[in-house]
Amino acid sequence: MIRLRQLAPWALLLVFTCCQNASPGLWDAGLEKKADLLMRVEHEEPRCFAEGMRDLTCFWDEADGGTPHLYRFTYTYENEESNECVVESQQREGSETRYFCKLLKVQLFGLLDIRVYRGETLLYNRNLLINLVFLLDPPANLTVTRTGKPGQLKLSWLPPPLKYMENSMMYEVSCTTAGSRMEKVVQGNTEFTLRSLRPGTEYAIQVRVKPDGLTYDGYWSDWTLPISMRTLPDDADPLILSFSVIISFILVLLSLTIFLSYRRFLIKKMWPLIPSPENKFPGLFTVYGGNFQEWLGHSSGGLWQRPGFFYLEELPVMLEVLSEATMSPPVQIQPGDSRAPGLLKETTQENEDEMLPKADSGMEKKWDPDLQENWLMDQFQVLQQSSTPPSQSSLLESKDAYVTLSQNFDQHPGEGKLEDISEESLPLHVLFGTTETSTSHPDLGSLPQSSGSSQLSSQSSFEYPHNTWPSKSLTYACLTMADSGISTDYSSISSSRTGMECIYTNDYKNQMPKERQPLATPPTHTGCWVQEQHNSSPT
Amino acid sequence: IFHTTVSDRRFVAVLLMVLQWTRLGLPSPLRPICDPRVLDRFIKEARDTEFAMVRVCSEGCSLAEPLSVPLTSVDFAIWEKGDVSEQAQEVQSGLWLLAQAISAVRVSITSTALHSLLDNSHSNIHSIGQVIRSLNFPEYTPPADGTVHEDTWRVSSTLELFRVHTNFLRGKVRLLLSHAPACRRDST
Repeated sequence: MIRLRQLAPWALLLVFTCCQNASPGLWDAGLEKKADLLMRVEHEEPRCFAEGMRDLTCFWDEADGGTPHLYRFTYTYENEESNECVVESQQREGSETRYFCKLLKVQLFGLLDIRVYRGETLLYNRNLLINLVFLLDPPANLTVTRTGKPGQLKLSWLPPPLKYMENSMMYEVSCTTAGSRMEKVVQGNTEFTLRSLRPGTEYAIQVRVKPDGLTYDGYWSDWTLPISMRTLPDDADPLILSFSVIISFILVLLSLTIFLSYRRFLIKKMWPLIPSPENKFPGLFTVYGGNFQEWLGHSSGGLWQRPGFFYLEELPVMLEVLSEATMSPPVQIQPGDSRAPGLLKETTQENEDEMLPKADSGMEKKWDPDLQENWLMDQFQVLQQSSTPPSQSSLLESKDAYVTLSQNFDQHPGEGKLEDISEESLPLHVLFGTTETSTSHPDLGSLPQSSGSSQLSSQSSFEYPHNTWPSKSLTYACLTMADSGISTDYSSISSSRTGMECIYTNDYKNQMPKERQPLATPPTHTGCWVQEQHNSSPT
Repeated sequence: IFHTTVSDRRFVAVLLMVLQWTRLGLPSPLRPICDPRVLDRFIKEARDTEFAMVRVCSEGCSLAEPLSVPLTSVDFAIWEKGDVSEQAQEVQSGLWLLAQAISAVRVSITSTALHSLLDNSHSNIHSIGQVIRSLNFPEYTPPADGTVHEDTWRVSSTLELFRVHTNFLRGKVRLLLSHAPACRRDST
C-alpha cells in the first residue's frame, strides 16, 4: 500500500510527461518549412493551416524563453462546446519560441472560433473556416519530357491525394532559364505543355498547388524541386536558310528585270546625252576636223542638200517664169526688156533686188512674214501691173489663174497662214505636184531635195474663194520652181483654164527681201502660174 | 368539324382510366445531373451574394427575429460513415430552411440590388432541389406542423445567414451530390 502511494506521484509525473509527449506536436522539418512560408503571406495570429481534410495546425511566435504552460488554446465550433488544445513549443534561434497546436479532429465548412490565452489574458482571437486555410504539400512526381517539336516541353504531375478535393485544385508552373523566369497558372489539369520556349536552351521547371478558392481555399504550396530539361534545338534553321536564299534570288531577279526595262532611262539619267550639232554638219567634224571654212567650201552643193541649215536667212531661189503670149500686157519687169515679158530666168540676186522694191510698192504689206516667196508674188504683180492695178486685190481678181505650191509650213500652221493670206487677198495660188516635176525634168536632178529639216509636202492645194476675184484677164505664167528653201503661200486664183502646159523646173536662188521672213522649211515645188487678165487672150 | 359519337367518348374515357391506373402516362424520370460544375456555379453565386452582403452590412445587419438555419459543419470521418438517404433528407430540409430564411430576409431589405441577389439565391436553392430530385433521392416533405429538423440553429444577422448559406452548399450539398449513387452508378 505504501508503495502505491509512493509510486503515485511518480506515476503522475510519468503520466504528465507522457501526456505532454503524447500530444502530437512533433515539429518536423516539413512543418517548419510550411510555417516559414505562412509567415510571409498570413499576418493574422495565430497562423493556422490545414494540411489535409482532418487536421489543423496553428502556431505563433513569442520571445519569452519557452513557457508553453502559460498558454491556453481554445477552439469552438459553431453551435458547439469549446475545446482546448495543448500548446507546444519549439525553440528557435535566438530567444524566439514557436508555440503551436495541432487539432486532429476537425470540422470543415463551419466557423471555428480560436482563442489563445496567456494566463488569464486573451492573446489572440480568430474566426476561420478550415476549408479556407489549406496549405498543401507540393505536387509529387513531376515529370518533364520533350515533345517532338523544338521549344516545347510536356509536364505532368500527381495531384494532392485528398479525397474530396480532386477537382478543386489549381497549379502554377514556373520555368526558369538563364536570367528569366516565367510562371503560368493551370486550372484543374495535372499535365501541361509549355510552348514558345526558346529552342536549345535549358529550363528548370517547378510546380506548386493551391485550392481553387470556390469550395476550398488556402495558400500556395511550396515549389517542387526543380527539374531541368533542355529543349530541342531549332530544326527549322535549314528551312529558314533555304527560304531566305529563294527570296533573295527572287529579289535579285526582280531588280535585274526592272533595271533592264528602265535601262535607257537610267542611262539617260546617269550619262545624259549632250546634244551636238554634228548631224546638221555632215563631215564637218569627221572629215574637216572642225574647219568650218573648208567645210563650207567643199560642200557648197551641200547647201542644196541642207537647205534648212540656211534657213536663217532668206534662201535664194531661182525663178524662171515661162510665159508666152499669155502675157499680152507687157510685163513691167524692172530689169528691163532683156527679159521677155513674163520670162524670168535665172534671176540674179541683183535683179531681185531691183524687182523687189517695186513689187513691194504694189503689194500690200500684209504679207505673212513667214512666206519665203513673197517676192514671187511681187513678180506677178509686176506682170500684172500693165493690165491691172498692181495690187493684190487685182491679182486676186483674176480668178482663172491659180498656182499651187507645195508647201511646208511645218513651223507654222499652214492653214492659218493661208487664211491670213486669203484675208489679205493674196494673188496667187500655186498648184503643182512635186512628184511630177521631179520625175519629168532632169533639171530637177539638182533639185535641192530637202533634208530632213525641210519637208517636201505632198501636193497641197489651197483654193481661195473664187468669187472674190472678178476675172479680168488671164495670164499664164508657168513657173517651175525647185526651191528647197522657199515655201510659198499664195492665194489661189481659180482658173477655168488649168493648162499646165509649161512646167519647168528650175533651180533658183532667190534672195528674199530682208524684211520678209522666210518660212522655216523650204519646199521644192514646181508649178505654173496662170493668171487671168482681162485683156489677154489665153493661149 | 369533329363529330364524336357517344361510343367514342366512352372509349376515350376508359382508355384514360386504364392509363392512369397502369401509370403508363407518368412522366419519365429526370436524367441525373452529375456535373460538378452545376453546383459550383451555385456556390460561386452564393459566395458573391455573401460578399455583397458584407459590403452592405458593415455592422452586421441584425435581423428582427432569429431565423432557423441548418448546421453546416462537416466531419468527414462521420460523414463517410453516414447513410446517404439520411444525408439527402438533411440536405433537403436544410435547403428548405434556407429558402424560408431568404424569403423572410428579402422583405426587410430595401436595396433593389440586394433584392436581385436574394431572388437569385432563392431560385438557385430551388434548382439544387431539382438536381437532388434528379439523383433519385427520396423527396423531402417539409413538416406541416412547423417543427424543424434537429440539426438547426438560429442566426440573428444577415451576414451569418449568408455565410451559412454559402457553406451549406460548399459542404453538405456538394458532398451529397459528388458522391451520389446515381452518379457513381453511371461513371463506374
